[in-house]
This record gives sequence, structure tokens and C-alpha cells, in this order.
Amino acid sequence: MEHTYQYSWIIPLVPLPVPMLIGVGLLFFPTATKNLRRMWAFISILLLSIVMIFSIDLSIEQIDRTSIYQSLRTWTITSDLSFEFGYFIDPLTSIMSILITTVGILVLIYSDNYMSHDQGYLRFFAYMSFFNASMLGLVTSSNFIQIYIFWELVGMCSYLLIGFWFTRPIAAGACQKAFVTNRVGDFGLLLGILGLYWLTGSFEFRDLFEILKNLIYNNEVNLLFVTLCAFLLFAGPVAKSAQFPLHVWLPDAMEGPTPISALIHAATMVAAGIFLVARLLPLFIVIPYAMNLISLIGIITVFLGATLALAQQDIKRGLAYSTMSQLGYMMLALGMGSYRAALFHLITHAYSKALLFLGSGSIIHSMEAIVGYFPDKSQNMVLMGGLRKHVPITKTAFLVGTLSLCGIPPLACFWSKDEILNDTWLYSPIFATIAFFTAGLTAFYMFRIYLLTFEGPFNFCLQNYSGKKRNSLYSISLWGKEEPKPIKNKFHLVALLTMNNNKRASFFAKKTHRIASTVTNMPFITIFPFGAAKTFCYPHESDNTILFVMLVLVLFPLFVGAIGIPLNQEVIESDILSKLLTPSINLLQQNSTHFVDWYEVVKNPTLSVSITYFGILLAYFLYKPFYSSLHNWNILNFFAKRGPKRILWDKILNFLYDWSYNRAYIDAFYTRSLTEGIRGLAELTHLFDRRVIDGITNGVGITSFFVGEGIKYLGGSRISFYLLLYLFSLLFFLIFLFFFFFK
Amino acid sequence: MNYFPWLTLIVVFPIAAGSLIFFLPHRGNKVTRGYTIYICVLELLLTTYAFCYNFQLDDPLIQLAEDYKWITFFEFDWRLGIDGLSIGPILLTGFITTLATLAARPVTLNSRLFHFLMLAMYSGQIGSFSSRDLLLFFIMWELELIPVYLLLSVWGGKKRLYSATKFILYTAGGSVFLLIGVLGIGLYGSNEPTLNLETLVNRSYPVALEIIFYIGFFIAFAVKLPIIPFHTWLPDTHGEAHYSTCMLLAGILLKMGAYGLIRINMELLPHAHSIFSPWFMIVGTVQIIYAASTSPGQRNLKKRIAYSSVSHMGFIILGIGSITDTGLNGAVLQIISHGLISAALFFLAGTSYDRIRFAYLDEMGGLAIPIPKIFTLFSILSMASLALPGMSGFVAELIVFFGIITSQKFFLMPKIVITFVMAIGMILTPIYSLSMLRQMFYGYKLFNAPNSYFFDSGPRELFVLISILLPVIGIGIYPDFVLSLSADKAEAIISNFFL
Repeated sequence: MEHTYQYSWIIPLVPLPVPMLIGVGLLFFPTATKNLRRMWAFISILLLSIVMIFSIDLSIEQIDRTSIYQSLRTWTITSDLSFEFGYFIDPLTSIMSILITTVGILVLIYSDNYMSHDQGYLRFFAYMSFFNASMLGLVTSSNFIQIYIFWELVGMCSYLLIGFWFTRPIAAGACQKAFVTNRVGDFGLLLGILGLYWLTGSFEFRDLFEILKNLIYNNEVNLLFVTLCAFLLFAGPVAKSAQFPLHVWLPDAMEGPTPISALIHAATMVAAGIFLVARLLPLFIVIPYAMNLISLIGIITVFLGATLALAQQDIKRGLAYSTMSQLGYMMLALGMGSYRAALFHLITHAYSKALLFLGSGSIIHSMEAIVGYFPDKSQNMVLMGGLRKHVPITKTAFLVGTLSLCGIPPLACFWSKDEILNDTWLYSPIFATIAFFTAGLTAFYMFRIYLLTFEGPFNFCLQNYSGKKRNSLYSISLWGKEEPKPIKNKFHLVALLTMNNNKRASFFAKKTHRIASTVTNMPFITIFPFGAAKTFCYPHESDNTILFVMLVLVLFPLFVGAIGIPLNQEVIESDILSKLLTPSINLLQQNSTHFVDWYEVVKNPTLSVSITYFGILLAYFLYKPFYSSLHNWNILNFFAKRGPKRILWDKILNFLYDWSYNRAYIDAFYTRSLTEGIRGLAELTHLFDRRVIDGITNGVGITSFFVGEGIKYLGGSRISFYLLLYLFSLLFFLIFLFFFFFK
Repeated sequence: MNYFPWLTLIVVFPIAAGSLIFFLPHRGNKVTRGYTIYICVLELLLTTYAFCYNFQLDDPLIQLAEDYKWITFFEFDWRLGIDGLSIGPILLTGFITTLATLAARPVTLNSRLFHFLMLAMYSGQIGSFSSRDLLLFFIMWELELIPVYLLLSVWGGKKRLYSATKFILYTAGGSVFLLIGVLGIGLYGSNEPTLNLETLVNRSYPVALEIIFYIGFFIAFAVKLPIIPFHTWLPDTHGEAHYSTCMLLAGILLKMGAYGLIRINMELLPHAHSIFSPWFMIVGTVQIIYAASTSPGQRNLKKRIAYSSVSHMGFIILGIGSITDTGLNGAVLQIISHGLISAALFFLAGTSYDRIRFAYLDEMGGLAIPIPKIFTLFSILSMASLALPGMSGFVAELIVFFGIITSQKFFLMPKIVITFVMAIGMILTPIYSLSMLRQMFYGYKLFNAPNSYFFDSGPRELFVLISILLPVIGIGIYPDFVLSLSADKAEAIISNFFL
């Protein structure tokens, strides 16, 4: 089956024709291209499916007999430097390409519906296909230069897609922020690559690892310099995977369309950093400081992301911070050297988070019809609530995603997260404590999002009825700056009544919409009767395409955990993932101690799962729907009545809220220091340029002008003046002579 | 070997044909425009044909050489010839000038003179790239200043006279040093002056004299390139000139400085060059950072692009200063790549200015909806300018980077510092170019009703942009297009340094 490998260079090239053709078409034949828009979507899905089949085929082969395949072609040669282009197929590549293509196909199908009313439908598909192509290029690349090229291309796609709705000023700022932040990472990456090239004289991964290892063992190299290079190299993944100091772009990146957030900013591109660290793990592993740094950054990100996610109002931003936290877990795992666990979590998290984002997209779509096309409203969880009844299928999907991400046992993320948590115990108790605590936080914030969105009354309508902008009944005021007021039971009675009235209406609306959708195959927006918005302002379920995609994606968190579960207890490495990754693990020369103490693995889940349940309970307690659990009232009121403790509690909550709402003050710090600094520098250099450098030039010009004028004045062709001048100079000369000689 | 004087034909043809413009019948601008474009295309085809069939890529020596006695009194010959170094800039000249002529179609003010000046510049530029005689080089160099001055001072913006004067004073001031250098080298040593570049290559001078010559040439080229602190003419000139003039200025004129540095300073004066190369590195690095950090402070769109080209010139300086094969190749590649990219950017800036009539960035905004095609191309070319992989700028900058780290002349620490600071420029570049995009196109803005009939770019503008974009992407994907031209010559030049 050698020829499957031989032809695998087409993997990144297959999705490429779509963006090129769409681009050319949009420039030259706009109307014709726009008329064929559904066909373009179909083609891009088809091409991506081909890649998926191809990569599944590759990985099946790799399960049976593990092999690494590499092929190189020269790209450009100058006399002492040659760049090569090639492809590199190993299990990591095939896993990543399966991940990219499966999520990619689902997101493309989803966005066919999600974006169908957008002006930039075709542009969207062009960008998406280009992104897929460059991401596939990234995972198949065989040397550093290629990695860097695709790394930047992926970043550019992200830039274009974040700024997709370019009329929004926030999106314009966000995409620039994303690009510049990523460029900071690329800066480090490029310097690291250059440094390693200078040391080893090679770009190709395996040669480079070998040479570097020999150099270090033979002590032929300055360890400080190698460590510096490794740190710089690590800056690239830090920016791309939104790790601690450079994470600021990810929440803002949620300005892009939701399918993008699912594909790029949750499943694939942000995982590219993890991929790169995994790819370079043989390099990092010989430099102990680098590994320590990786795990340190990982644990900081885990904790920071989780705390920041606690009080977000925007549903997508909440999910974005959760992504950041989970990526931190993967980075932590890589820093600990547990390659398998990190990749396992990468896979499971990608599917779960893609599901969550697609679910949130469906919610946003439902909400947009009611609250208007404005991200501050349609993504605001304050205005949601009680969607469980109106969007049941989305709710189910979202719940599965939430449970999976929290790490509830049968679902996918449980297995992977548990493996990571288990490994942290072996690594360092302090890290383990933080990691376990964050697992609880994860459960808390995920369920907070879930409860605020799907449980309780529908707050947008409630707001209309109560006539207040943000009513005190709403439990988000628990986090708010104002004093939490005692809850009045009147309100929720009203809410309940109105809800009962309106449920029928919305049910009816859903029916008509369903029928209409089957007939016209168009989304619901046109059918929605705006005139009667007062009487049924309830959202309804999204279109069938969206639901279909979500239902397919639900299967992944349910079953994808199976690839990492040992099927046979006696034989270690009997699961598919381990089989697949054996060569890479062997490459790292790790004995599989992590898998031997299987009892540890069994023992640990009880702890982590109980922490998770505690988090969920806490979320239930704080954000529980008011009408459903009346018996808890007493406890809450009991809390409310206790004086001094209550104040302390509020203070803590307010602090947490401020911390999270202000993004841990990091963004403000960056704005204050870097952005203002660069602006100041620009002003300063501009001033310097204008006043000093240009000033000298202009000064010379003006001086010569005055000198010329003066000479012109002197040489004004008047004989009398010449005579005067002559006599004066003669006089001076004589006086001078007189003094000089007769003194 | 054929004896047909291809190069003479190529050099003389545009200006000769251009002077016929004045004898054309007065039938409006259309005739003049059509005629000029016809001449330009013919010239481009002629050049391509001549180079295709008479130029061997693997030969680092001078080819298509011609030598006619002109003034026997001091051995001044009409001596032309090209090698791997000059073929790239000549083709670039033909390409950009043709497109600039096409871009200049809206010019109606005194269009006969305008088009004649374009053709005169065409000749001057090709002449200076292909001359093999120092004095001829100087004459061509000067020949090409006058058209620029006129183009600036007649067809420029509001402050055109100020900028034109500044331009001419700066460059004429530089030319004085060039002349000093030319005469100095020519008259040194033997009784009769030698101006032939071939014989001059093999000569050596006392170190002090060589340094003096070097400084003379350096100042002349530094004004042209420009190297800080001689750069202030450039933003003013670019800010005021018509955009077709800007295309020529940014695309070709600046590259003459780089070409001169390689051709004369590196080739003729290698010892002085290796003495001065650390300064090149420092100046280049400072220039990248300085111009990149001045650029965000500019309110004028064209000035911002102008500073970005000053910043990109830093890579050429670094490539030349690294004294490596790789670095020199990178510099040559950057010459070509920046010529294309900056020409396209100035064209875009000019065309969008024609539509909105705002020169300042903070007055713009929300242009993406009325002019989507310009938006698309502007985005692509800004990406090219900030060295996105897959475009030519990236390859050039990457090769320059490698040139520096493989350079054997410098120690580790300076190399680390220089690479580090250069790479900071890589962060600054997207800041100014993307914020330029954001301020121009993103967001929304209501335009006044009478002014709001915008046309998106028409077929002519699209043609110009696409034909620049294709080589940019082509070189980015397969840089050997250019590198195969210059690689052997670069090797030959570098080998002088290690004799």
C-alpha cells in the first residue's frame, strides 16, 4: 500500500481549487458565481470528504503496521541553502487530518444553512476551504519552513474570518488584534527556527532532532542558547493556542461567525499549537527547562481560563475561555511528557467543543429573530433562559457537549481529562491540586452556561413584561455589582403564566415553520411574522440542516472516547490510540510507565468525578431555575438573612465578577502599555522625523535661500554700493595693517 | 553569437518613439495614450524576446555586450551589457512602466508631455540598469531625474512644488557625490581614464582612497534607496505625486539605488564594502524599525505606504551588508518583490483616492461595501507587503534572514541581536498595514449623497492589479523564477570577497 503514501501529497491540495475558483469568479463574474452558490458549497464539501476518506484510509493502514513516511522535493536552491518541500505522514498527521476533515465537513454543512442569508456566503466558503487547505498543509508538513508558511496562512485565514462581518467596528478591531498577537508568536517561532537552523543546519524534523540530541549529549553546544531557542519556538504555540500571556485574542475572535468559532477557534486552528508542541516534543524533551516552562504555562492557562469563564455574559466568550482552559490542559499534559493523553484530549475536546459551539450558533440563530441581529443581544445569556422548551434538540446536543466537557464518565472528555489529571499526580502535587480544582470550575461554568441558557424563564420576554432592563429576579445579578436583592415570588408566577400562554403559540409557530421549511427549503426568517412579535416572542428550533449536523456531532462525544479506552485489561496499549501512536511514543523513548499503574487510573476517577459533581451542584444551587425548585428558597433566603457573612460572600463574588468581567485586567494592561506605547512611539518617531531629520533638510534649504537673497541684495548692481563696500573693506584692511604692524 | 544591437535598440527605442508623440496629429488624448501603451508593450515584448533567445542563464559573465566608441578623447564608450543582476530589474522596469502607463489613463492635463516623460523615464531606467560604463551609468542616472521632476511638479498634488524641489535637490545633491566617485575611479592610476566596468572590477586601490570612493558612491545611492537619514524626500514625493509616477518611483527608481550599491559598491570596491558591512547591518536594522514605527503615525495614506517601503528597503540593505550569497540573492529578490508590491499598493491608494477624495486615513472608513474589489485586492496586497507566506515578500525576507545567520563575517552575538531586532519589525509591519486596512475599509460610514456614486474598479484597474498580483504569488510559490537569474552572478560577486 505504498502508493497511498505516495499520493498523500494531494491532501492539502484537494480543497484548494474552491477558494481559487471562487476568488476568480467573484472578481470577474460576480453574478454568475453568486447564482451558483449552493453548488460551490457542495463542491467544497465533496472535496473535503475525499480528503477525509483518504486520511481515514491512511490511519487504518497505520494501525496495522505503523510507519512514518516522508518525501521531499527541493523548492528553491541557492548555492549554500536549499529549502525543501515535502510531506510527512505519521500517526499524528493522520489523526489531525481526520479531525480537521470531519469537523470541517460538518461545519461546512452547518454553515450552508447558518450563512445562507449572508451577503458573503461565497466569500465565507472560499475562506473556509482555504483554511482547510492550509490547515491540512500544516499537519502534513515535513520541515520547519513549511510549518511556518502554513502557520502564517492559517493565521491569515483566521484574520479574514474574524473580520468577516467587516462593517462591525468591534470585528475590525478583533481581527487586527488576533493577527498582531499571532504575529508576536510567529516572531518567536521564526527566531527559534533560525536559531535551531544555525545550530544544526537542518530544517527537517527528524534530522534536526537527531543532531540536536547528539549535540546536547556530547555537550558541544551552549545549553543556554538551545534553551532560548526552545523558548522562542514555544512562543508560536503559545500565541496560536491562546496560552497565558498571548491569550487575549481568542475571546475577541468570537466576533466571527459561529461556524468559524466552532471550526477554527475551538477545534482545529487553536489545536495547531498543541500539534506543533507534540510534533516537536522530541526536541523539547531533551531540554528540561523547556518542558517545565510548557507545563507551567499550561497550568497557568488552565486556571486563568477557568476563572475568566466564570462570569462571562456572552455565551461564545464563555465557551472561548473554556477552550483556552482546556487547551491549557493539553499543554500541561505535553509539558509532563504524556503525549498520548494530550492528543487524546485534543481529539475529544475538539469534538465536544465543536458541538457546543454549533449548539450555541443554533441558539444565536434562534435568538436573532427575536432580539435583533446584534451580537450584544443575541449572544447575551442575560436575555436567554428557558430555551429548553423551545429548542429541545439543540438543548439535548448542548447538554451532551456540556456533560462531555465536564468529564461525566461515559462521555469522551472524561477519559482524556482523567488521564491528564492522573498524570499530574505523578508529576507534581501542586499542579495536580490546581488541575483538579479547575475540573470543578469547568463543571461549574459549563453548567452555569447551560442553566442560564436553557433553564428558567425566557428572560427577553420577561424583560418586556416587567418593564425593566435587567430585572432583579435574574440570577446573574448574583455576580453583579449591585446588591443582590431579596427575591420576590410574584415575578416568577407572572412568568410562569405568560410562559404557559405563549408556549402554545410558539409551538404553533414552530409547526408552520417546519412545514414551510420542507416546502421552500429556506430558513425561517422570512416566515416569522414580525407583526405579532408581542404575542409570541419565543424562539424556535433551527433548520433541519443545523439539527442534523448537531445530531451527527453528538455521536462523537458519545463514542470517540472509545478509541482511547483499553479494550483488553491485560494487554497494555490495546486501545486504538495507543496502537496508532506507538511509533511516536517510541520516538520519545518513553517506557509506558503511565499505563502500567492502571489501578491509579481506576482510583482517580472517583475523585475527579466527585469534584465535577460538586461543581455542577454548586452551579445548580446558584443558577437554578426558580420555579422548579421551590424547596431551595428557604436555603437561599436563609443565606440572604445572614448579615456579615453575606457581605463577605458578596465581596468575594464581586471580586470574582470584576476579575472575570475585566478579563483579569490583562487586556487593559496590554492596551495601556503596548498599544499606547506603540502609538506614543509612532508619534515620537514621526515628530522626530518631521522636526529633526526633515527639519535639517528644510533648514538647509531655507538657509541657502536666505544666503542667496542676501547675496542678491549685496550684488544689487548698484555702483555706489560696490564703491562703498570697496572703500569699507579697504578701510578695514588698512586699520588691520596699521594695528598689526605698528603695535 | 549574434551582433544585432539588441540592448541599444531597447534603450533607445522608447525615447525615440516618445519624441514622435509631439508630431502626432492633435486628435485628443486618446491617440497619445494608445500610442504610448503600444510603444510600452512593444518594448516589453522586445525585451522579453531579446532576453529569451540571447541570454544564457548559467553564464555569470556579461552578455549581449555592445561597445561603440563615442568620445575617443577620454575613452568614453557606449558600452552596454547585461548579466544576471541586471536582467531582473530591466524586466521589472518594462513591466511596471507598461502598467504605470496603463494606470495613467485618467491623466488629461497635457497628456502628450506626460506620456513623453513616461517613455523618457523608461529609456533612462533601462539605460542605467544596462550600462557597462561608469560615465554612461551616471548620464543615464541623471537623465532619468528630469522626467521625475517634471512629472512631480506638473501633475502632483497641492504641495507638489515643495516636494519636487526637495526631490531634485536631494537627488542632485546625491548625484554630485556620484560624479565625484565616477571621476575619481576613472582618473585613478593610469594616464588615460578607464570607465569600463569590466576593467575596473579587477583593480585595487589604497584602502583610504577606496573608502573615500565608497563613501561618495554610498551617499549617492543612499539618497536614492533611501537609507535613513536621507529618506525624507520619499514620503513627501510619494504623498504628492500622481499614482502612476508613484508606481515608477517606488517600483523602479528606489531599486536603482540598491542596484547601484550592488553593482558599484560591492563589485568594484569589495575591501571597503567588507569594512563598512557592519554599518550596513546596523543602519538596515535601525531603518526597518524606525520606518515601521514612523508609519503608524502618518495620517496620509500614501505617506504611510511610503514609509512602509522605506522599512522594506532595510531588508535590501541587510541583504547587501551580510556579504553572503544567500543574503545577496535575498536582496535581489526583495528588489523585484518590493517593486511589484509597492507599485500595486500605490496604484490602489491612488485609485481609491480618485473615488473618495480623502487623503487622510481618519476621514475614511466603511469603504468595503461600495468598492469590494478594491478592498479584496488591497487586503491581498497588504498581506503581501507584510510578508505573508505564499507571496514574494515572504521569500525575500526569509532569504535575507538566512543570509544573516549564515554570514561568516559576524560573530554570534551581533547576529542574534540583529536578527532579533529585524524580527521585531515583523511585528510592527502588520500593525501599520492592517490598521491602514481597518481605517480605510472596515466599519461603516454614511457618505454624502452627491459624492456617493462610487464605481468599483473597472476592467483596466483590475487588469493592472491582477497582472501585478500574478508574479507576486508566482515568485512566492516558486522563487527560483528570480533566483535562477541572479544566483550565479551573486556567487561571482561574493567570491570576490574571499580572494
